Amino acid sequence: MTPTTDAVLAVRSISKSFGGLKAVQDFNLTLPRGSLRGLIGPNGAGKTTVFNLLTGVYRPDAGSVTLAGRNITGLRPFRIADAGLSRTFQNIRLFGELSVLDNVRLGCHVRSQHGVFRSIFRTPYHRGEERAIEASARRLLDVVGLLSRAGEQARNLPYGDQRKLEIARALATEPRVLLLDEPAAGMNSQEKIALRALIQRLRKEFDATILLIEHDMGVVMDICERITVLDYGKTIAEGTPSELQSNPAVIAAYLGAESDCDIDANHAKGGR
Amino acid sequence: MSTLRARAIELKPGLLPATVRSVWPLVAGIGIALTLQFFAKPVIGDFYAKVLLDIGTSIILAVSLTMVNGFTGQFSIGHAAFMMVGGYVSGGIVYYGSLLLFGDVDMAGGLVSSMIEGRDVPLVTRGDALFAVSLVAGGLAAALCGYVVGLPSLRLKGDYLAIVTLGFGEIVRVLIQSQTGDVLYTVEEMKERPFVGIAQMFTTPSDEWVTPIVLSLGGALGFSGLPFYSSLFWVFLGVGITLLVAYRLKESATGRAFLSIREDEIASEAMGVNTTQFKVRAFVIAAFFAGVAGGLFAHSIGVQLNPGELGFLKSFDIIIMVVLGGLGSISGAAIAAAIVTILPELLRNPAPLLKVWPVFAGLAALLLIATVFAAATGRRTRPLIAWLCIVLALLGLGFGARAAAAAGHNLGDYRMILFALALILMMILRPQGLFGVREIWDRSLWRGIAESLRAPAKKGGTSR
Repeated sequence: MTPTTDAVLAVRSISKSFGGLKAVQDFNLTLPRGSLRGLIGPNGAGKTTVFNLLTGVYRPDAGSVTLAGRNITGLRPFRIADAGLSRTFQNIRLFGELSVLDNVRLGCHVRSQHGVFRSIFRTPYHRGEERAIEASARRLLDVVGLLSRAGEQARNLPYGDQRKLEIARALATEPRVLLLDEPAAGMNSQEKIALRALIQRLRKEFDATILLIEHDMGVVMDICERITVLDYGKTIAEGTPSELQSNPAVIAAYLGAESDCDIDANHAKGGR
Repeated sequence: MSTLRARAIELKPGLLPATVRSVWPLVAGIGIALTLQFFAKPVIGDFYAKVLLDIGTSIILAVSLTMVNGFTGQFSIGHAAFMMVGGYVSGGIVYYGSLLLFGDVDMAGGLVSSMIEGRDVPLVTRGDALFAVSLVAGGLAAALCGYVVGLPSLRLKGDYLAIVTLGFGEIVRVLIQSQTGDVLYTVEEMKERPFVGIAQMFTTPSDEWVTPIVLSLGGALGFSGLPFYSSLFWVFLGVGITLLVAYRLKESATGRAFLSIREDEIASEAMGVNTTQFKVRAFVIAAFFAGVAGGLFAHSIGVQLNPGELGFLKSFDIIIMVVLGGLGSISGAAIAAAIVTILPELLRNPAPLLKVWPVFAGLAALLLIATVFAAATGRRTRPLIAWLCIVLALLGLGFGARAAAAAGHNLGDYRMILFALALILMMILRPQGLFGVREIWDRSLWRGIAESLRAPAKKGGTSR
């Protein structure tokens, strides 16, 4: 793997152990601007840990993360969000009591000049900014198809809509790289088709660079240009979808794994 | 370069209209405070004016605590300590300031500060200015304490803040009780004392130290002799500013950051919110207003500033107001503060409540009919039952208090038991508090009731 000059995200051999468990070992990744990369692997392979390492929830034991030329290794999560890395969560983490609109508006937080005194005195700039935030939040809700539900409490949305709201909220931070953690989980087949279309649209309209964790092989194989496969914290393969489908290491990881991975194995076999 | 910034500049309103829209609520607040002071007070009489005064102070306390416990979801149980800091700083400035400037500690305020009718003084005097300065100083001192206490404990997740604030409250109380000396009565006495007295630590043996002026605050006996500057004008000006600040914070980027921390701290941080910084901000702002409320409390008629009175129990009173009102609801906290403050008075003398009992009875009957209707047609009954219970409880309290009074008891003595019962009922029927995170004017708050009348209950739907 040779580092590309226009790589927006470059991860150099990061590792993380929890006690004796090596959750992620020597993970490397280079994302060129505008690319869409899949990150797959059986349950417990360390995919979400990679996300947590990139976004600062965990500090890597070794290695470095560079975002658009800036070293963001070990920074606190809000600084990493500020640098331009935004994510969604596998187990949805919306602000349930807040409205759908407010969830997206909060995403704009990191790009706004939120002083306490500006908020209290409502300076002209503050008023302009609140208008801009609302306009941009409404636009994003429109993109993910939730504009009509803007006033509802986020926790009252159906599951699939909550996942879309997470994507809108993450986009509101104006990220350079978007990390999506199992966006299709819990969606029915129709919603999955819509999700594929949405991700394609994000790439086109927002010029988004995306790293995608997904269990649904149909989605991953269909839309990702390249895929990285993790197993037991190690990268066992990387390549285009067609390369991986015939890669013996990948097939072994999925089919040779324990019983709790049967579902993934079925996906891998059947494709869908 | 953020596109948001460019758009914000594009959408920026002109300076004049923005200023008008920013300032008019403050002008309105001053107007309301003046109206209460000069038109409402003569009508309602001294007793109810005093009740209104206490309600105002409680509202400031409850709304300020809402910013911490409600907005950011942290749990502070030492709010009275900030009140105490503000009260003593403000009291000290007014008391010793009056001695130095006016020669005595008599009330030197104008009509805006007066709770007594027919005083022949100008509208505003030097005394009022001194009092206003002391309130701000008390607030700033409390805010500084809030910063010192909040910064280390708010960096951590979990219940550390609760423990630290509880400890801070006790420390402030014990320090004032044991380390402050008698109040000085004359300017001559003041001249014999050092102001801060740090120098004597190095020059004088410890058994010859004299209590400096800044520590002559009355000790365990309380700070007696403070002039009664707190009038309806000052208190409700404070209420107005507190409500305005709380509302504007809640409805802005800052407030959304506060609320997001309460909802999900990890997601909040991942979206770019510096959670520690915003928790500290909320805590410091809340401490400031608690300090101002302390200053207003210290100068209230019928109050003697006393460290014992502002201990843990006072903090708990404020928490009850916030929890009853709904964690995060400004109007909820304000209304609950009014109820909790007025309830002991009503229990002592339920006559005013019983005067309007047919209104409550009618409301209860309406709610009962609606509940039966909803139950019979398979609609949601829960929100209706909750409100029915509230109305019935108020009515029951009125008659109960009258019966108790006839038998020679004062139901007000049992208020802590009643509050505990109310809190338990609340946890069962409306765990989110009266208004939840919403405000009284939010239509979605009332939609629950409307929906239970309109649409049949969904099977396995959410319970709200």
